[in-house]
Amino acid sequence: MKTKTLTMLILAFVVSGFANQSIAQLTGQQIMEKVYNNPSGDDTQGNLAMTLTNNRGEQRVRSLKQYIKDDGKVEKKIMYFLSPADVRNTSFMNWSYSDGRNDDQWIYLPALKRTRRISSDSKSDYFMGSDFTYDDLGDRHPNQDNHKLLREETIDGKSCYVVESTPKEEGYMYSKTITWVMKDNYLGLKREFYDDRARLLKVLTIKEFAKIDGFWTIQETEMHNVQRDHKTTMKFTDVQKNKGIPDSRFTERSMTLGS
Amino acid sequence: MKLKIAITTLLAFVLFNQAKAQEKLEITGYARNYTGVLTGGDNEFSIVQNTLDLKFEKSSDRIAFKVNPYLYHYFDSDLEFGLREAYLDMRFDKFDIRVGKQQIIYGKAEGVFITDAVSPKDLSEFLLPDFNEIRMGITAAKVNYYFGNSTIEGVWAPVFTPTLMPEMNSIWRPTMVFPIAPTYDNSTTEITPSLENSELFLRFSNMGSRADFEIVGGYFWDDDPTMHITKEVDPITMQLIGLTVRPEHHRLTMGGASFSTQVGPTLLRGEGGYYSGKYFQTETPTIPDATIKKDYIHYMVGLDYTLVGVMLSAQFIQENILDYERGIRNDEVESTMTFLAKKDFLREKLWLELFAYVGLNNEDALIRPKISYAFADGFDIQLGANIFVGNKGRFGQFDANDMIYTKIKYSF
Repeated sequence: MKTKTLTMLILAFVVSGFANQSIAQLTGQQIMEKVYNNPSGDDTQGNLAMTLTNNRGEQRVRSLKQYIKDDGKVEKKIMYFLSPADVRNTSFMNWSYSDGRNDDQWIYLPALKRTRRISSDSKSDYFMGSDFTYDDLGDRHPNQDNHKLLREETIDGKSCYVVESTPKEEGYMYSKTITWVMKDNYLGLKREFYDDRARLLKVLTIKEFAKIDGFWTIQETEMHNVQRDHKTTMKFTDVQKNKGIPDSRFTERSMTLGS
Repeated sequence: MKLKIAITTLLAFVLFNQAKAQEKLEITGYARNYTGVLTGGDNEFSIVQNTLDLKFEKSSDRIAFKVNPYLYHYFDSDLEFGLREAYLDMRFDKFDIRVGKQQIIYGKAEGVFITDAVSPKDLSEFLLPDFNEIRMGITAAKVNYYFGNSTIEGVWAPVFTPTLMPEMNSIWRPTMVFPIAPTYDNSTTEITPSLENSELFLRFSNMGSRADFEIVGGYFWDDDPTMHITKEVDPITMQLIGLTVRPEHHRLTMGGASFSTQVGPTLLRGEGGYYSGKYFQTETPTIPDATIKKDYIHYMVGLDYTLVGVMLSAQFIQENILDYERGIRNDEVESTMTFLAKKDFLREKLWLELFAYVGLNNEDALIRPKISYAFADGFDIQLGANIFVGNKGRFGQFDANDMIYTKIKYSF
């Protein structure tokens, strides 16, 4: 019995040592791939409230409803603007391709009664006046950057990898980003964005996250532009996963008819 | 007029009461003041207009309705009441039916009308109002059938609605020069509503990952009447002693297509239409009523591009009369360009915009700079100018109408 117990302990020690060694050997690239490949479900729907706060503390709120569906090749997203009143019933649709080609984007403006394709090249443009660029809101593929594991660190009681990512593409809007990735679920907890002069520009913080329908989901996030001292908070509510959103949700008809 | 106000009040009362009773009835709209002053002469006000625009909407999975009444109040005239749209929707799995007064928009061009021939135009203030105010609703039944990312749309309009032209004394009335004062014969102006006089439109559209395109066709009345001119000449002196102008709408047949696609960082748009049956004015003396029937093509190619956060857009538009004959008042080929530059500041609170039409034949232009500031959510203040360049042509004819304006708008 003693021999058996000893064997088990040794085995456990070896296995755990091997496991620790395996984790310790994770590279920055591998960590960011795990973040990218974190399962998020085939589809997601929910409401989004976006609060823009300027450096005088004045707030503006935008609310919208969004549906997202990903079949592995194309991620389709449609957003219906609910408020403020002057943008109500406007809808925006984005198709993002895993093969790296440019996204397709359309906007429906109810006053013009027409769905029009818009240029998707402006990923550095800010989304609805917020501190998030279109690129910040998308899934950036890990192969677009070089990644380096800087250190391991605990923030807010959560053990994290700290990974520095520098873009392969010249002239990208950020010179580098530094991401704090939680070890236990590979969710990014915090990210710093540096401008083209390598000065800290923005800090993204995840305020709230939870497992919804079996998938780790961010529920509240804040982007703080430290240079201009304004912030945008995004709060997701009524989030539902894998409810089988039909393909017809991502069509011109759906953009026109609204949420 | 009192009747119109009574109808408006009654309609608002009925709809507000319905709103109380039905939680899901949505009431949105805007209130706006629009004041424009001419920069030349005595700096007269070209417009002082207060607007209330309301939208009452209710929808469920299968049915929906929308009523969009509007009320214009002008400083120099009575209230003007109208319905921009008022329709009912029936929705099925693969198709929708919309019946009632509705705006229907075709094509990919911005600020010009190429295959966009369904909704007639309100030109009472030329091309200056917002485009949802320029396009008038038509009474029609529209059926949309959907499959994949494609749509087939059929429109049947039993009642003809012509272009709304400016009043006779309006500064926006196009100039028509006659050697002597004409007499107007309006006996052929009206189109009697009947099955034979209906208008028909058909559209196929597809929205795909590489490009969007639509193919359209229509058999309809020319929204602009042709001016048939009869001359009366003294047989002895051979002097012109009388002119009769008889406006008449004629049938047009149109076929066209449009597309938009992304080419690298640029969005490329194109649109073209072939019109058959259009009557043009001619000065050829042997033609008795001074009009001649010719086909024409109308097309546009446009590019949209964003450069350091500035949205840029340019369009080249051409109208080409086929089988052209000398004497026709219009040029055989008329070319126009449009330019747009737009940028936001202060996180989309402040917008600067410059839009221009440039007529290449007559070297005339309409230049429209504007600045708008979102004072609060839904509350916009706009300051702009309309500058007409040249002394003839579509834009140059209004050279004396340069104006600056303000618009204050609250959306709710």
